[in-house]
Amino acid sequence: MNKRIIVNIVSVLVSIFVTFLLTSILILLIGKNPIDIFVMMFSEVLGSGYGIGQTLFKATPLIICGTGIAFCFHASLFNIGAEGQLNAGAFVMSLVALKLGALPLVIALPASLLAGFIISALVGYVPAIIKIKKGVSEVITTIMLNFVIIALVNYFLIEFLAVKSTVRTEKISDSLMLPQLSDYFNSFQGSSANLSIIFALALAVFFYFVIYKTKLGYKIRALGYNETASKYLGIRTNALTIFSFMLGAGLTSFAGMNFIMGYKGYYELGFSNNIGFTAIAVALLAKNNPLGIILSSLLFGFLDFGGLAVNTEIPKEIMLVVQALVILSIISINKLTEKYLNKQKI
Amino acid sequence: MKAVEFKNITKTFGNFRANDDISFSIEKNSIHCILGENGAGKSTLMKVLFGSYKKDSGEIYVNENPVNFKSPLDAIKSGIGMLYQHFMLIEDFTILENVILGSEITAKTGINYTESKRRLNSLIDKYKLDLNLDDKVSDISIGAAQKTELLKLLYRDSEILIFDEPTAVLSPIEVENFFKIIRNFKEDGKTIILITHKLNEVKEIADEVSVLRKGKLVYSVKRENLDIKELGKQIIGDLELSIVISDDNLQAPEAKAEFEEIDVLLSLQNITLTENGLTKLFNINLDLHKGEILGVCGVEGNGQSELIELISGLNKNYTGLYSKNVRKISLVPDDRLKKGMIKEFSIGENLLMRLPGKNVFSKRLLKEKEQEVIAEYDVRVPEVGDIMENLSGGNQQKAIVAREIKLNCDVIIFSQPTRGVDIKASSFIHQKIYNEKMNGKGILLVSADLDELLALSDRLAVLFKGKIVKIFAGDEFLSGKQNSKELIGKIGQLMIGMEL
Repeated sequence: MNKRIIVNIVSVLVSIFVTFLLTSILILLIGKNPIDIFVMMFSEVLGSGYGIGQTLFKATPLIICGTGIAFCFHASLFNIGAEGQLNAGAFVMSLVALKLGALPLVIALPASLLAGFIISALVGYVPAIIKIKKGVSEVITTIMLNFVIIALVNYFLIEFLAVKSTVRTEKISDSLMLPQLSDYFNSFQGSSANLSIIFALALAVFFYFVIYKTKLGYKIRALGYNETASKYLGIRTNALTIFSFMLGAGLTSFAGMNFIMGYKGYYELGFSNNIGFTAIAVALLAKNNPLGIILSSLLFGFLDFGGLAVNTEIPKEIMLVVQALVILSIISINKLTEKYLNKQKI
Repeated sequence: MKAVEFKNITKTFGNFRANDDISFSIEKNSIHCILGENGAGKSTLMKVLFGSYKKDSGEIYVNENPVNFKSPLDAIKSGIGMLYQHFMLIEDFTILENVILGSEITAKTGINYTESKRRLNSLIDKYKLDLNLDDKVSDISIGAAQKTELLKLLYRDSEILIFDEPTAVLSPIEVENFFKIIRNFKEDGKTIILITHKLNEVKEIADEVSVLRKGKLVYSVKRENLDIKELGKQIIGDLELSIVISDDNLQAPEAKAEFEEIDVLLSLQNITLTENGLTKLFNINLDLHKGEILGVCGVEGNGQSELIELISGLNKNYTGLYSKNVRKISLVPDDRLKKGMIKEFSIGENLLMRLPGKNVFSKRLLKEKEQEVIAEYDVRVPEVGDIMENLSGGNQQKAIVAREIKLNCDVIIFSQPTRGVDIKASSFIHQKIYNEKMNGKGILLVSADLDELLALSDRLAVLFKGKIVKIFAGDEFLSGKQNSKELIGKIGQLMIGMEL
C-alpha cells in the first residue's frame, strides 16, 4: 500500500521533470535560454506576494471544479460537462445574489451558493438519467450539453439581463463581496486572491474525507470499480449514479464564487475561460484525490500566471503547451509505473 | 518419447518461490494431470512453459529439443496450445471469426471463408465438438464457448494442449462430454496437460499425475498406482488431515427429512419470470425453512442465476407471489471476480461496506474487522490491509463467505461456493455452510458440484429450462444418498430434461 503511494508520487515528480525537459527544448527552439526563462518565471511568481496571490487566485476555481469532477470520476462517470455545469450554476448564483443583495450576508451568500449548486446539479441530472435509462455514454451527452447550456446562458444574459452594451450582469451588492487576502496580509497587495481559496481548500479536504473514509465514498468508488459487483453488494447503483453525478456537477458551480463574489462582482460571458476543461486535467493529474487536486491546481495556477510573467520573452501560450505536456507525460509514465507494480506482484 | 520435460525449473516473484527446482517429464500421447492447492505453482509452471513468464533458471525440452520461448507466440509455433480458465473470445464475433482471427486463410480478395469453414467443420466432425460456426459468441453457452477455445487450438495445429481447470465452469454432463473430447485428442496422438482440483476427474482420466505443493514437485504417480486418498494427502501436506480429504467424508451427519410450516422463511408461489420474450423461470413453487439447506442443481443457464437474482431482490420483474419472513438476504455470488467483491478494496473494506451501521471507516476499525475475518476463517493475506486482488482464489472466496455470514441474515444464498477453490478451502467452506444451517439459518445452495449438493442438502431441487422438474426430499432423498451412484444418475437425467 505504502509502496504504491510512493511510486505514485515518484511518477508525478518524474513527469514534471520530463515536462521541464521538453519545455526547455521548446524554448531553445524559439532561441531563448530556458534557464533564464525558468529563473525569470520562478522569481516573478514566487518572489513576490503579488505573484503568489495571483497563483492562488487562479488555483481556486480549479480546486473547486476539480474536486467536483473527481467525485464523478470516482464513480466512473466521465463528466466532461463541467464547463457547462459551472456556467449555468455561476450565472444563477450571480442572479440570486443580485436579488438578495439587501439581505444580511449570512442569508444571501448561502442562498445564492445553494441556488447555483441546485442548477448545476440539475444540469448533471440530465446525462445521468439518459445514461441510466438509455445507456448512452455520459461522455457524449456532457460534451454536447456544454454547447447547449452555454448558448442558453448567453441568450438569457444578453437578451434580458446584461448591462447595456456589455456581456455581463449588474454588480452585486458590496456587502456580498468576499474579503481579499490582502486585507489580512499586506504582501498580497494588488492580487485578486480572496477568501474563496479558504472555501476551496476546506471543500477539497472535506471531500477527501468523504471519498476515502466514509461508507458513502467506498460505495461510490465500488460503483466506479465494478458496477456488477456493486449491485451484488447491495448498492442501489442507479440511485448512486444519479447522486454522484448531481453532487459532482453541483460542486462545480462553486467555482463561480471566486470570480463573482471574490473578484468582479458580476457574471460575465466567458468568465470561466475553460476552467471546466482544465479542471479535468487537474483531477487526472491528481488521480482524483482531492488533496492532490490542491497541489495540481496550484501547479496549473503557477503555470498560468507564470506564462503571463514571461510573456515579454516568450509567447505565454507556451505554458498551455506545458500544461498539455504535463498530462501526456503523467499518463505515459503512469503506465510505466503500473507495469512496474504489476511485475512486483505475485 | 517425452513431449515436455522440465529440468530444475525455478521461478520467483520477489522473495516468493512460485516454482522451486521442479523436474519431471510428460510422455507424448498421454493425459498428464497436475494437481495442487491454489497457489501451489501449477499455473506459474504452465505459464513458464507457454512463454508467458520468464523462468529464473532451469531448462525446458519440447519433443526432446531444448526450447527457450520468449513469448506465447513462440510456444504456439512449436505446437503448444493453452486453454485458459477465462475465455479469450470476442463476444460480437461469430465462432468462425473468433477461431480464425489472427491466422486467417486468405485469398486474393480477402479472407477465404469457404476454405476456413471447410477446415473447421472437418475438425468439428472429427472431434464431435457440436458447434455451429455462424453462431455469435454472445449467444452460446459456456460449454460451447469452451469448445470454441478448443477449436482455436486445433485450428492452430497444437499437439501439446494445456488445460487450466477446464471443468470448473462446466455442468456434470458437459464435463463428461469434455472428457470424451479429450480422449479423442489422445487417441489422435496429442498430449494433454490438465490442471485440476478435482480428484474424481483425475481418477477418471489421468495417465500420470504430478502433485505440486508450495512450489515444489512432491509426488508423481502413474495410473496403475493411483490412490485417491494418497493424492489428497500429498496435495494438502501433513497439516490438518483431520478436516476432510475426499468426498466420502463430506456426508453431513444429519439431514432433516421434515420441515414445519411455521419455519418457512421464504415462499415462492407460481413465480414466472420473462426477459426479452424468453421465459427464464416458469411456475416456480418453492419454500425455504429455518435450519434447512435447500440445494438447487441444473445445467448452467437453466434458470439458476435468475432464481438467485429474484430471491435476493435484484430482479423484481416477476409474476406470482414471493413472500419472505426475513428482512435481508445475504448472497455469495457464483463469480467472485465479477460479482463477489471489489478487488481493489481490502477484506476489511469489502466487509464494512456491506455491514449496516458504521458510516465512517477508521483505520483501526478496518484493521479490527479484517483481523476478525483472518482469524475466524483462516484467510491468508500477504499483509493486513492488502487489496483482495492480491489474495489467492481460495482466500478470496473464504473472505467473501466470511463477509456474507457475518451479515447475520436469516437467509444465505451460496452460489457455486467452492468453484475453483482447493480442497482444503472447500471443506472449510462446507463446514461453515453446515454450521450456519445448525444455527437455524435458511440456506439456498446452488451448485454444479453434485457431490457437494448431495453431501450438504436436506432437499434438492432440479431445474430444467426454468422449471423445477423435481424436488428430492424426505426418505427418498436420504436413502438415495446411501446409494449415490443411482441417485446421481437420476438427477443427471432430470437435468437434461429426461422424464423418469
